[in-house]
Amino acid sequence: MRKIFKKLTPPPFWRVPVILALGIFIGSGLYIFYVSNAYSYLSDNPKTCVNCHVMTPQFATWTHSSHREVANCNDCHVPQTNFFSHYYFKGKDGLRHATIFTLRKEPQVIFIKEAGIEVVQNNCIRCHSHLFDIKEVSVYQKNHRSDRLCWECHRETPHGRVNSLSSVPNAKVPLPESPVPDWIKNVTE
Amino acid sequence: MRPINQIISNKPWLGWVIFGITVIIVFLFGLLASSIIERRAEAVFVNTPKVLLADYEPRNEEWAKNYPREYQSYMQTADTNFISMYNGNAFIDMLEIDPRLVVLWSGYAFSKDYYQPRGHFYAINDIQMTLRTGSPKLPTDGPQPATCWTCKSPDVPRIMQKIGPDSFYRSKWAGLGPEINNHIGCADCHDPKTMNLRITRPALVEAFNSMGKDITKASHQEMRSLVCAQCHVEYYFKGDGKYLTFPWKNGQSVENMEAYYDSVKFTDWTHGLSRAPMLKAQHPDYEVYTTGIHAQRGVSCADCHMPYKSEGGQKFTDHHIQSPLNNVSNSCQVCHRQSEAELVKNVNDLQTKVIEVRNRLEIVLVRSHVEAKLAWDKGATEETMKPVLDLIRKAQWRWDYVAAGNGNAFHSPTEMSRVIATGIELAQEARIKLSKILNKLGVDGEVPYPDISTKEKAQQFIGLDMAKLRTEKAVFMKTVVPEWKKQAEIREAGYSKN
Repeated sequence: MRKIFKKLTPPPFWRVPVILALGIFIGSGLYIFYVSNAYSYLSDNPKTCVNCHVMTPQFATWTHSSHREVANCNDCHVPQTNFFSHYYFKGKDGLRHATIFTLRKEPQVIFIKEAGIEVVQNNCIRCHSHLFDIKEVSVYQKNHRSDRLCWECHRETPHGRVNSLSSVPNAKVPLPESPVPDWIKNVTE
Repeated sequence: MRPINQIISNKPWLGWVIFGITVIIVFLFGLLASSIIERRAEAVFVNTPKVLLADYEPRNEEWAKNYPREYQSYMQTADTNFISMYNGNAFIDMLEIDPRLVVLWSGYAFSKDYYQPRGHFYAINDIQMTLRTGSPKLPTDGPQPATCWTCKSPDVPRIMQKIGPDSFYRSKWAGLGPEINNHIGCADCHDPKTMNLRITRPALVEAFNSMGKDITKASHQEMRSLVCAQCHVEYYFKGDGKYLTFPWKNGQSVENMEAYYDSVKFTDWTHGLSRAPMLKAQHPDYEVYTTGIHAQRGVSCADCHMPYKSEGGQKFTDHHIQSPLNNVSNSCQVCHRQSEAELVKNVNDLQTKVIEVRNRLEIVLVRSHVEAKLAWDKGATEETMKPVLDLIRKAQWRWDYVAAGNGNAFHSPTEMSRVIATGIELAQEARIKLSKILNKLGVDGEVPYPDISTKEKAQQFIGLDMAKLRTEKAVFMKTVVPEWKKQAEIREAGYSKN
């Protein structure tokens, strides 16, 4: 351990520049962590999902839906089976979203992907399992509920049918506020 | 492997390579950071207005330049074609439909004229037209204070910013006539810069303070009801300054507000027949809504009265504020899967049941007023009448609390039934006392129920000269109101052009 550390330690001549370079490197890393609200992604707060403003239609339609009171974004869009699958999927999906957003590759109308469909369908069933309970419903009903996706019929639930990026002009959603702290604003104003 | 130290002293160029790579990585980091910043900044432009609005811009047409969809839907509050089982948005004379109201409000302006409220579009028009505001000729003429304007126009916060709420309320209604010309609109609920919901009427803020609550802590969802609660609440004009006040200090239930009024010895008017010290409930819509199941499930006013609307692929809040019964699919059916017909029937059933008991209380109240008048006529003393009058005050307050609101019987049917039940008990208690008093005064048998089968008969019964009131109003509408409009036009011509 000490050997590796020694090997990595720069010679006296290089020490100061390396300290500075590392400082800049880590500092800019922390800055990115801060401006991207990276810490908020550990939470289940729907506000996090509008860190990227392209999610505004999804957020706005959800707040106008009946699911607002009972389910947040993660309840439906992230597996709720166990801790590992939960955070694995969230990390995977989140990184993909972040990459596409950063590269400006988002389509005008966002559609859910195959992996997401499976997760959402399972989460519908998780809460509405009584609709499949053979003690409560007929076999006929159960079959017709099992051979298709929930939203093939419940097409408006909960986001409505089409959510293009421009479908909710002027919607009031909690978009991120300026990252500049107030005391700096006060100084510069 | 040799220490990096030696490698570099043997090959100095390697040091430069490491340096260069670090520079490139930090440079790319910077690019990523500025990309994040740029995308964050885009959020600001999601809502970029075409024209900048002045703070407290009262002209709804100016806001329309930025938000045409919201404006157009809002202007549909001019519609008067929807009639539900008991209400709707049509111009309906409630005194005609229910002449008992004339007797209950005897001695008070409501007995002259009481129409079912129309949409927000008519706020200015209707307050000028109603006989309740009288026919003032001079700016200093009564009968009403400027406080009556408080809920009618976005010109109100504009003037309050200038002269302060205190001198606003102290003015006469006629005095501010030329200042107030825009009907209820955008600036009443929205911040012109951010479009966030904002409380513009001091009375609600003060009412929250009186309950020890801080309204600035309200969430966006709560604000979607609180902007309505600026006006759709019970209120009174406090003291000589006619300071608009919500009686919420002890709480918002019918009993708590009554206790407050009793404690400050407030009386709206003395009844024309019974001489009871009356309370007039205004429209405790917000208070009643908070006792209902929808409020308890987190549903706001806007969720049902201003649901999402889709138009040409664009979704926006429908600003056509109206009865959800006229828009069941976008309001009720967002949560409830039943058919439209069934949902409407459920609402009508609730209202029918509540109105059934409300009507019974109404009849008992008419009787108690008439019997009290007879007792006075037969020479009853103040002392014997006092407990009776107090019971009448309390009973009619309960009736009015239920009757005056918009959609109360739907918003909270159980609470409304409870309030009416206690009202009937109080009114009958008053009548038992009255029958003993009348007995002592030598009146035997039942006091006849007056013939108040029509509005005219009822108004005649309480002694109103309607012809005179109507003639005066016609003159007012023809001479004073056009003058107000002219002055408002001149004033607004001086506003900055957008």
